[in-house]
Amino acid sequence: MKPALTRRQFLQGCSAAIAAMSGAKLTNLAFAKQDNPSDTLVVVFLRGGWDALNVVPPMDGDDRGFYEKARPDIKIQNLLRLNDQFGLHPAMSPLYDLYQQGKAGVIHAVGLNYDTRSHFDAQEYIELGTPGAKNTASGWITRHLQATGISSILPVVSTSGQPTSVLNFVPTVSLSTPDEFSLWDNGLRDSHTNALRTMYAGESLVHRAGLRTLDALDIVRPLTGGEYQPSNGAYYNDDDFGRQLKTVAQMIKLDAGLRVAAVDFGGWDTHEYQNDHDGGYMADLLNSLASGLANFYLDLDSGYTNKLSVVVISEFGRRLVQNESYGTDHGHGSVMLTLGGSVNGGQVFGQFPGLQNDQLYDRADLAITTDYRSVLSELLAKRMGNADIESVFPGFSQGYNPLGIYQ
Amino acid sequence: MQTRKLTRRDFLKLSGTFAATSALAACAPGEETPTAAPFESTGQSPVIQPEAQTQLPPVPMAILALSRLTFGIRPGDVDAFNALGSSDDERLLNFINQQLNPDTLDDSDFENRYNNAGFETLYKSHEQIYADHIASNPYDSNDDAYWEWYSKPAYELADATVLRAVHSKKQLVELLADFWHNHFNVYFWQDDGVPLLASYNRDVLRTHMLGNFRQMLEAVAKHPSMLYYLNQNNSSDAGPNENFARELFELHTLGAENYLGVRDPNSVEKDANGIAIGYVDNDVYEAARCFTGWRIDDDLGDWEDGIEKTGNFLYYKPWHDRFNKLVLGRYIPADQEDLKDGYDVLDLLASHPGTARHIARKLCRRFISDVPPESLVQAAADTFLQYKDAPDQLKRVMETILLSAEFKASWGGKVKRPFEAAMSMMRALNSDFTRIPGGVHWMLGLMGQALFERRPPDGYPDMREAWANSMSLLFEWNFAVGLTENWLDDDDTGYKIRSDVMAQTPAEIRSASSLADYWIQRILNRSLPEASRNAVVAVMAQEYGWDETLTEEHVQYVLPAMIEVILMSPDFQWR
Repeated sequence: MKPALTRRQFLQGCSAAIAAMSGAKLTNLAFAKQDNPSDTLVVVFLRGGWDALNVVPPMDGDDRGFYEKARPDIKIQNLLRLNDQFGLHPAMSPLYDLYQQGKAGVIHAVGLNYDTRSHFDAQEYIELGTPGAKNTASGWITRHLQATGISSILPVVSTSGQPTSVLNFVPTVSLSTPDEFSLWDNGLRDSHTNALRTMYAGESLVHRAGLRTLDALDIVRPLTGGEYQPSNGAYYNDDDFGRQLKTVAQMIKLDAGLRVAAVDFGGWDTHEYQNDHDGGYMADLLNSLASGLANFYLDLDSGYTNKLSVVVISEFGRRLVQNESYGTDHGHGSVMLTLGGSVNGGQVFGQFPGLQNDQLYDRADLAITTDYRSVLSELLAKRMGNADIESVFPGFSQGYNPLGIYQ
Repeated sequence: MQTRKLTRRDFLKLSGTFAATSALAACAPGEETPTAAPFESTGQSPVIQPEAQTQLPPVPMAILALSRLTFGIRPGDVDAFNALGSSDDERLLNFINQQLNPDTLDDSDFENRYNNAGFETLYKSHEQIYADHIASNPYDSNDDAYWEWYSKPAYELADATVLRAVHSKKQLVELLADFWHNHFNVYFWQDDGVPLLASYNRDVLRTHMLGNFRQMLEAVAKHPSMLYYLNQNNSSDAGPNENFARELFELHTLGAENYLGVRDPNSVEKDANGIAIGYVDNDVYEAARCFTGWRIDDDLGDWEDGIEKTGNFLYYKPWHDRFNKLVLGRYIPADQEDLKDGYDVLDLLASHPGTARHIARKLCRRFISDVPPESLVQAAADTFLQYKDAPDQLKRVMETILLSAEFKASWGGKVKRPFEAAMSMMRALNSDFTRIPGGVHWMLGLMGQALFERRPPDGYPDMREAWANSMSLLFEWNFAVGLTENWLDDDDTGYKIRSDVMAQTPAEIRSASSLADYWIQRILNRSLPEASRNAVVAVMAQEYGWDETLTEEHVQYVLPAMIEVILMSPDFQWR
């Protein structure tokens, strides 16, 4: 009995037919196996340094006292209980259900253990994966894919430019929406692409890049022009973050071997009035984040979540003590979130160092007890088929200490 | 350029049966289709690893020189080059002499366009820009008028830079201005000093780029654009900010290749003059102390005694760390005269052999090959050091590089980056404009190379691997389509770019093959491989025979599409 053709085979066949028609070689047609050998990783980078202590504040005990004393005007109450020690900002309620179901976890007092409070430096170090060294020629995701080899036509998408984490990864396709990633049509587009396949049939880097682009256009084209219908009644907010997640969901559902997606979410540099007006813009940001992630998960809970890992990271947390403008200044230790079908969720991971003056970093900020690379290393080892930590985070493998976040 | 209107030639799409259309139609679900072999790693890494110079058939000297030393060959350029002498060497020498002495060139076509472009701010002095666009333009993030006036000089600079790249005859200095802006990179939207980008580009980079490196370095270090961008404006003895000092070593002078890491500075080997052969972290910290108090006269809020708001460089002694320092093994005593600590650091760096090699290698990478031969790097570094005090030091370095045997053998060494690709398309089509539509900057951004918008201080990369990504290539292709179809309009400003390809096509050339051959030669100045040439002919012919005379209507509809394919070809990518 002939098995039904999948959408993927259909696309593959069409690409092959076009290539064969124009005499192009098929070396760049790169669909590998039916299944992704590992998870699809979605990295959400919160630009600006989110106020982790107001996202996951202490609920009880001495630390609650230090927290309230340091933040008389901006402390968060009515928390969603995570465990005996911590609660979640109420604006994050859409994600709370997934936490209770064990699909989402929290890592506290985590971050970049390097002495900088510069956005630029901290983001750069985190994304390069080499704290203290800026001249690294590749991002950490680049090195992971280099170590594991890539086997698909569309291994990486970025929905906001070319972030440093994929620095010098040539096949990255950056697109904010599928519609943007299209060849402008003067009425003779198919004639154009036929000619281009002939002209770009060659071995040089320029030729290979051209064929990759043509292949990627073929893959993305079915997504353009139409209205996307998310599964399970999921709904994406009409904001920048929602649109990016919607694009990533579409790319995952193409079954074209997407390995990593990079998503950016900006606006977290809350120096002023972060809680004004009913929770303020910090609450709006958190609600957009939580609602976006929850609906993304719901949408992909149609056969994709068992191979999905989402991590949320920011370049640093913020100062314990509120500033004169009812905001917070650049700090140090932060919170990471993780989401996916294979997360040991419903827990707060990491050792909390405390908020007493002597327990703080530089007597000002939440200290770091878990290096962010430890979380990513565990993810790579357990979910991404890459136990070679040293290849991704050179010099770090000695410090790798898995917290049991992933199955 | 949000407009992507379809054109009247849509009907062609419906009338013709194209290979791809039928191929797609043939693979409806349920049918057997050929399957592609699974991808197997062939050792071709997707990660950046410099590809050696690509082996390409040799080209005439005119094509090499014009491709490499201009933003692309315009119609007539090859003939003009060939008229410069009776041998390749003589022509090249004369061309380089003209380009390195740009005031000898008649640039009236560009000057007419520039004078008619309506630039309002580019003639202003640095102080005038600061006064008009910053001091008298109080910050109001919600006010569109504020933002427009604040960013106007920088936007006008970007527009003028495109105008020069396409229409000025002084092409080599345009390439050098681009090189030096990226070498001493300042980000367009860096806080506090956006409008000052115009004076930075003009007064610092363009003034010194054929002059003396030490003088350029000091002009950079004192310009408010750089002082703001690398946080030097806030660096005091109480809290030295190392940002500028670190990039001064790492990017501007010695380069990371001469960084020896976190080491005891006493352990570093010294050269014959007692100068350290490379730098360590301690040198950065000590240099940062040397530059404390280098700031801007920018007290907009009248908070500081004795500070005005001229926007000029200011040496602010109360912030200067007066005690002794040790930089690259050189002892810098306490309480030197004003500015001397910083000058000593600049002197040490500008005359260091490591700096000479770093600058020489970057220039060779720009003008010879992604991986330039060490022989030429050393020769250029030798010139750099030999003429380190000469007022035309950098011009002499350029002569060493461009008049070398290595230059003549370098075809295949460079690929156009997106900005160069877009500019060269406009040059190839003789495109007409004085002000570009804002959408051009938007498209350059999608290609990954918006002018002056490299955020990190290292400047846009100059290796083909960094640009071989789908988005860059796709929007270069889209630029070819938008340009040739004359879609690049800005309805708000009325700015537009026009490329009249019909008027540039002799009326007697009307078969698909002759039109293809004419335009291949016109754009590339050489022939294409047979398969590629036939692909171009096939686009022109569509359903007609290759040698039959095409109707005027067909030519009008299809000619732009055929030209687009030539502009989108890999052959157009070499420079």
